[in-house]
Amino acid sequence: MGWFTDEEVRLWATLFVSVCVQALPFLVLGVVISGLIATFVSPDLVQRIVPKRSVLAVPTAGLAGLALPGCECGSVPIAGRLVAAGTPPAAALTFLLAAPAINPVVLVSTAVAFPNDGRLVLARFLASFIAAVAVGTWWARRRGGTLLKSKQHVDTHETGRWDRFVDVASRDLVHAGGYLVVGAMAAATLQLIVPRSILDAVAENELYSILMFAGLAVLLSICSEADAFVAAGLPQFSLTSRLVFLVVGPVIDLKLIAMHTGVFGRRFAMVFVPVTLTIAVISAVVIGQILL
Amino acid sequence: MNRSGRSAVMLLLGTILARLLFSGGYGWFVQQRMRIPLIFAAVVLIIFGIHDAVTGVRQESADPLSSKRSAGPGVGWLLILPLLVLVSIAPTGLGAAAASRVDAYTPTEETDPFDPIDTSAGVPEMRVFDFLERAIWDNQQSLEDVTVRLEGLVVNDSSVPDGFKLTRFMVSCCAADGIPLQVSVHTDGPPLEEGTWVIADVVWRPPEIPYKDVDGELIVEADAVQVTVVPDAPNDPYESPY
Repeated sequence: MGWFTDEEVRLWATLFVSVCVQALPFLVLGVVISGLIATFVSPDLVQRIVPKRSVLAVPTAGLAGLALPGCECGSVPIAGRLVAAGTPPAAALTFLLAAPAINPVVLVSTAVAFPNDGRLVLARFLASFIAAVAVGTWWARRRGGTLLKSKQHVDTHETGRWDRFVDVASRDLVHAGGYLVVGAMAAATLQLIVPRSILDAVAENELYSILMFAGLAVLLSICSEADAFVAAGLPQFSLTSRLVFLVVGPVIDLKLIAMHTGVFGRRFAMVFVPVTLTIAVISAVVIGQILL
Repeated sequence: MNRSGRSAVMLLLGTILARLLFSGGYGWFVQQRMRIPLIFAAVVLIIFGIHDAVTGVRQESADPLSSKRSAGPGVGWLLILPLLVLVSIAPTGLGAAAASRVDAYTPTEETDPFDPIDTSAGVPEMRVFDFLERAIWDNQQSLEDVTVRLEGLVVNDSSVPDGFKLTRFMVSCCAADGIPLQVSVHTDGPPLEEGTWVIADVVWRPPEIPYKDVDGELIVEADAVQVTVVPDAPNDPYESPY
C-alpha cells in the first residue's frame, strides 16, 4: 500500500464500519415499515387516505415526516413501497425529503448543538420543509407523476401474510442495504481525503462558504442527527452557510444518491439529485437571510 | 441473489451485530445510546434470516426450481463487506491519527451557573467536555486551583513541547462525526507515546490572554499533578455532547 499509511487504512475502516453500523438499525426499521406497507396497505386504502389533489397531498406528506424519528437511510425503502402501494409519487418524494430533516430527534439535537441560536432550529425546520414541498410540487407539475417507478420487486411468491411481510422486508433490506454500503465506502473515503485546509481558505467569502457547505454536506454524508454538532464546531462560518449544510445533508448525500439510484433508478437520480440540491440550497439561503 | 444467499447475509449481519453488542466493541463505532436500536436490528435480522432459510428449504422440497428464483438484487452481497473489513483490518476506533484531521471543538456558551466541584471524596473525575466548558465559560472560575481527573489519549503536538494534548472524541451518532476535545497538559514526566490512554490529574492553567480576546484557535491548558498510563481504553471511549 504505497498511498496510505496503516493508520489511515484503519481510520478508513473505522469510518466505513461506523457509518454502516449506525445506519443499520434505521435501515431495518425502514424495511420493517416498508414490508408492512407492502403487506397491509392496498392501493384502495391509499386512495382513501391521501388527498387527491397534490396541492394538499404534498404538504400533508411533508408534515407526515415529523412522525418518523430516525436518520435518512430508512426513508428510501419506505418511499419506494409507498409508490408501489399507489401513493402519488410527488407525495412520496416529499415524505422522503422531509422525514430525515424535520423529525423531533433531529430538531432536538440541533437545539442541543446550538443552545443560544433557537432561531437556527426554526430556520432548519422551515427551510427543510419548504424545500421538500417545493421539490414535491415541482415533481407533481413537471413530471405528472408518471416517471417514478420503484425498482423494488413486488413479485413475491409468498401467500401467507407473515411470509409475505418477511419476504418483502428482506428484499428491501438487501436492496437498499447494498447501496448503503456503496455510499458508506464513498463517504469514508472522502472524509479521509478532503483536506481541512479547504475550510480555512474559504471562510472569508460568503458565497464560497455556502457552496463549500453544500458540497461538504453531500460528500461527508453525516447522519441528520449528528450534522448539527459538526456545524456547531465550525464557528468561523456564518449561520446561513451552516444552515445550508443542515438542509442539504439530510436530503442529498453520497449514501442517499447511491440508494436513490438503486431503489428508483439512474434516470430518476440524474434529474432528482441536482434539482433537489439546488432547491435545498436556495431555500436555506432565503430562510437564512430572513431569520438569521 | 438467491434465497439462501439472502438468508446467509442477514444471519451473518445479525450475528456480527450481536457479537459487537456482547463484546462492547460497538462503542468504538457508535454512541452508547445506539445500544437498544442495535439490539432491535440484530434480533430482527436473525429472525428474518432464520425464517427466510426455513421457508427456502420448505419451498425447495416442494418445488426444486424455487431456489433459482431471485430473492433480491446482486448488490445485496455488498452487505458482507463491513464484516470482511471488521475481520481483516480490525479497526480500533478513532485514535490519535483522527485528531489531526478536524479542528478541536470549543463548547458553545453555557448560560446556566455551574455547580461547585465536589472534592470531598478525593480527586473528582470530569469529562473533558465539562472541563473545557468550565474553563471557558464559568465566570466563577470554579476550576481555579482544583485538581480534577481527566481520561483521554495522548496526542503529541509542537504547541506543547513539555507535555501532550489530552484528547477525547465527542461523538453524537457514529465515529464518522467525531470531533476532538483537547486540553494541553504540561508535565515534568517523560514523553508519552502517541495514542496511549492516560488518566491525568490536572489543575487548570488560567490563560495569559483572556479566552474571549483570542483570535483563532482557542487552547485550554492545564498542569499535570500526576499522569498514569492505562493499558486499555475505557468501555465508552467517546464523550457525548448531551
